[in-house]
Amino acid sequence: MRKRTMGHRIGLAIASALTALFVVLPIYWMVSTSFKTDAGVSAPSPQWFPNPISGGSYTNAFVDNSFGRYILNSVVVAVAATIIVLALGTLAGYALGRLPMRGKFTTLMVLLMISVFPAIAVIAPLYLLMRELGWLNSYQALILPYAAFNLPFAIWILRNYFLGIPREMEEMGRIDGANPLRTLWSIILPMALPGLFTAGVFTFTACWTEFLMALSFNSSNDFRTIPVGIALFGSPHITPYGTLFAASTVAVIPIAVLVLVFRKSVVSGLTSGAVKG
Amino acid sequence: MRNVHVHRHPGRSLRPASLRAAALAAVAMTAVVLGGCSSSPGSSNATSSSAATVAAPGTANSGNITWWASPITSSGADPRTVLVTAFEKAYPDIKVKLISAPTDTDTNRATLTTQISGGAGPDVYMGDVIWPAQFAAHQLADPLSKYLPASYFGTFAPGLVAGATYKGQVYGAPFFEDQGFLYYRKDLLAKNNMKVPTTWEELMTDSRTIQSKGEAQYGYVFQGASYEGATCNFMEFLTDAGGAVLNKDSTSSAVNSAAALKALKFEQELVTSGVSPKAESTYQELQSMNEFSAGKSVFLRNWDYGYSTSQAAGSAVVGKVGVAPMPTFGGESTPGYSNIGGWNLYVNPHSQNVAADLTFIKWMTGNDAQKILATQFSEIPTNQAVRTSADVIKSNAVLAVVPQTKLVPRPAQTPFYPQVSTAIYTNVSAVLAGSKTPATALKDADSAINSALSGGGL
Amino acid sequence: MSTDRAATPPSLTSRRTLPPETVRKKDVNRRRMARLGWYFSTPALLVVAAVTIFPVVFSLVMSFSNVQVLGSGFQLSGLTLGNFHTVFGSVKWRYALGFTVLYTVVTVTVEVVLGTMIALVLEHLRALRGWMMALLLIPWSLITVISAQLWNYIYDPTYGAADAIFSAVGLGHPVILGSNASAVIAMMVADIWKTTPFVAIIVLAGLVMLPGDVYEAAEVDGSNGWQTFWRITLPLLRPTIALAVLFRILQAFGLFDLPFVLTQGGPGYATTSLAVLGYQAMFTNLSFGPGAAVAVTTAALVVIGCILFLRVFRAQVNEGEES
Repeated sequence: MRKRTMGHRIGLAIASALTALFVVLPIYWMVSTSFKTDAGVSAPSPQWFPNPISGGSYTNAFVDNSFGRYILNSVVVAVAATIIVLALGTLAGYALGRLPMRGKFTTLMVLLMISVFPAIAVIAPLYLLMRELGWLNSYQALILPYAAFNLPFAIWILRNYFLGIPREMEEMGRIDGANPLRTLWSIILPMALPGLFTAGVFTFTACWTEFLMALSFNSSNDFRTIPVGIALFGSPHITPYGTLFAASTVAVIPIAVLVLVFRKSVVSGLTSGAVKG
Repeated sequence: MRNVHVHRHPGRSLRPASLRAAALAAVAMTAVVLGGCSSSPGSSNATSSSAATVAAPGTANSGNITWWASPITSSGADPRTVLVTAFEKAYPDIKVKLISAPTDTDTNRATLTTQISGGAGPDVYMGDVIWPAQFAAHQLADPLSKYLPASYFGTFAPGLVAGATYKGQVYGAPFFEDQGFLYYRKDLLAKNNMKVPTTWEELMTDSRTIQSKGEAQYGYVFQGASYEGATCNFMEFLTDAGGAVLNKDSTSSAVNSAAALKALKFEQELVTSGVSPKAESTYQELQSMNEFSAGKSVFLRNWDYGYSTSQAAGSAVVGKVGVAPMPTFGGESTPGYSNIGGWNLYVNPHSQNVAADLTFIKWMTGNDAQKILATQFSEIPTNQAVRTSADVIKSNAVLAVVPQTKLVPRPAQTPFYPQVSTAIYTNVSAVLAGSKTPATALKDADSAINSALSGGGL
Repeated sequence: MSTDRAATPPSLTSRRTLPPETVRKKDVNRRRMARLGWYFSTPALLVVAAVTIFPVVFSLVMSFSNVQVLGSGFQLSGLTLGNFHTVFGSVKWRYALGFTVLYTVVTVTVEVVLGTMIALVLEHLRALRGWMMALLLIPWSLITVISAQLWNYIYDPTYGAADAIFSAVGLGHPVILGSNASAVIAMMVADIWKTTPFVAIIVLAGLVMLPGDVYEAAEVDGSNGWQTFWRITLPLLRPTIALAVLFRILQAFGLFDLPFVLTQGGPGYATTSLAVLGYQAMFTNLSFGPGAAVAVTTAALVVIGCILFLRVFRAQVNEGEES
């Protein structure tokens, strides 16, 4: 651990405060607007604090719409896709990072090219594919494409973190006679938790916010997700900011909870953990 | 050093072979899916139309249909469910499943196109009035005139069916209409002893007088952002000035004219003179409505919903708003032109239950549904009898003005209309932003429109 | 890979010092491990291939044919370069390309610098780090259309917070989205707010996983914090930062939601990105041929950009590949 001077601490405090402010102000604006009345939302001079505080936007978002169902669908789709991506991405990332395969670079480049391809261009052909499979209006119509389009990034990022782990750790496992899968599971993976966490969080958020495929493939309310639900708010000439922000405030909570739950086990667990020590 | 050799050998021998294998597999898959989709929708299409001609069209009393419609209003009771409930009461054996469509019109069209060209989609859908030519050319809508008699199309207000017609066939049943109105501040006009302006010049002078007294920050707010709404506003100025965007048979541009220059110069002058806000080039309905509701502007150009929104909670102008037909340029016959908006009902060519679809459409454009739309939700009915009936006219200030207005459609008689409109609104918005002169803008729009009509350009 | 490796000096020397039977065992082991590598990667590659190959090939085919979208499906005919001719001949496309490149360069640069700084600050936090990370993830995990609407609300000329702040500090009422330059800048600010956390979190994970002993060595050297950062932390972080840059370039080049919601590409077509242009061509104009050509061209340009980037930074991305 490094020594900390007084100046260092003050510098840190100021920097953190600025960072927090930069991030927080727009979020504050979104959350506070979600608690304003319709008149408060469009007050000629902005209400810096909602006055009066009103839950009307939340009622609009949740009572008048099938939003509860959309949240459930989003959770199912995002969790399933994230599990697939982490499981397959870890294996592939480890192999492409650590095992002596031929054609690694080509594989990685092809994966990169796939993630480059604009989403708008693949919607129509994927729709044909889904229809042929009879998957329109189903969870798998989203889970499989989400897994496929997030795997390239997950593989790249996991591979990068695997590369950072000292080789000796694997050698240790090999000397103990453990098979490679076991070495990966019990020695490498625990050390790569921050990387796994990063890949997991990014996959989850990407699935959580995906709009075009969810809108096109699933038109039944039973399978629609949050971003689609939000796109159905308002009317052609009216943007109901209050309702939009109420729904998105609620939609953001699971992500924050996810991070806070994993905070103890993953993030701070490694602050001074095995890797650094 | 080791990094260098890592890169020197990216599977030199493997790459061509594996790529070739991947390419082959992909081509095979492409062939399979393409083959599949070109045959099956075709056959389902055939069965659906033959089924419809067997059953007397529009008289089916049973079946399940899906109705794709975007939200019509943003608060209170949902007109879509109110209408569906009333319809199911009238036809208990037809079940209508409402699928809520995205509010954004472009997103709505994108999703529909994907679904219909993919061989699926809803039975009946609510679509914009500017879609018929494009949807007809791409066979995304079934021609209704194939099934319904001319007498049915005679029930609509004049001009609306013409807008839904392409190459002699009617593709959409007008569901509810919308159009431009001039909203004004009754209190400010009264205070200054002014009557409602009927010409643009008058509107400008009145605005300046009121602005100079500090009673309002702006004179006129309208829609000038780089989007469809700017085309609607421009159409009004343009037609007032005696111009047109396309020639008679929609085959070439007519926009680079003296009349168009007069219209566009006037729009520019509104902004440069300070009668309209500097930010006009960013204004959609929302922003212009906000300025007016906040009491910052004397006049507003907006659609039918503008009146009720200006009288909603939080508005600074409750009880102070009047509505009138649009003004025109001095020397032209009054009133000025109002651009037509609104929505039609279309039938998906893949629908398996066309007879029930038509029953639904006929009911939705009939007396009961149209009256509900007008009196409960202040939408402008398309059905001429309902539109002109006394109780509808007296139900709402805006509906009372409708019979006095003069309508002009957008040049949507060509399947390339989206590009035509893009050519107009990007150039109008550029003029309002001050980055182009009206003359250059019209020249650019002219060439973009001509290249769009010849099927080229982006 | 094993043959190339044998040709390089380090392995040669190591070979020489080992007894022959160990070498053979090592080679067998190596082949076994290589096979294992493919076993490990195949499931992931299969999933990716199953979903992506058909759409990508389909788009490629569309970009080289005359495409008619009909209610009965896509009709492709002929092999043509016409779509690309249309694209390259379009003033709008050339403008969109320039705009997208400028946008990518500026936002990625700012986001990487800012994101690395945030990661460094976070690395020093103990108790608060989890909370800060949760906070940072909020902008990133906001549904893109919503964050665009949030900024639309902030930039609103009538009741927007930005306008109130500008006029409160004596800057009057600037037209934020109404002039080409300010609309572009306003969009960049919104992008930086949303995406900097993405970079910060990737870099933070990289920082946390750095071996601790290098810092101790630096401390023994008596380096101050700044020197330690430039001489030790940054070089070790380079692969991670390079990775973040790579994926940010990909995302930024696909810029769609912000212009779509904030400005619809305006004023004029000042903020029309390549993705917006492609979307309009495909889904508004229903001209899928030119639309696919825009998409394919964009993808090709990004791939070329990435390959160039990897060329320059290859040591960084692949650092530690073989040790």
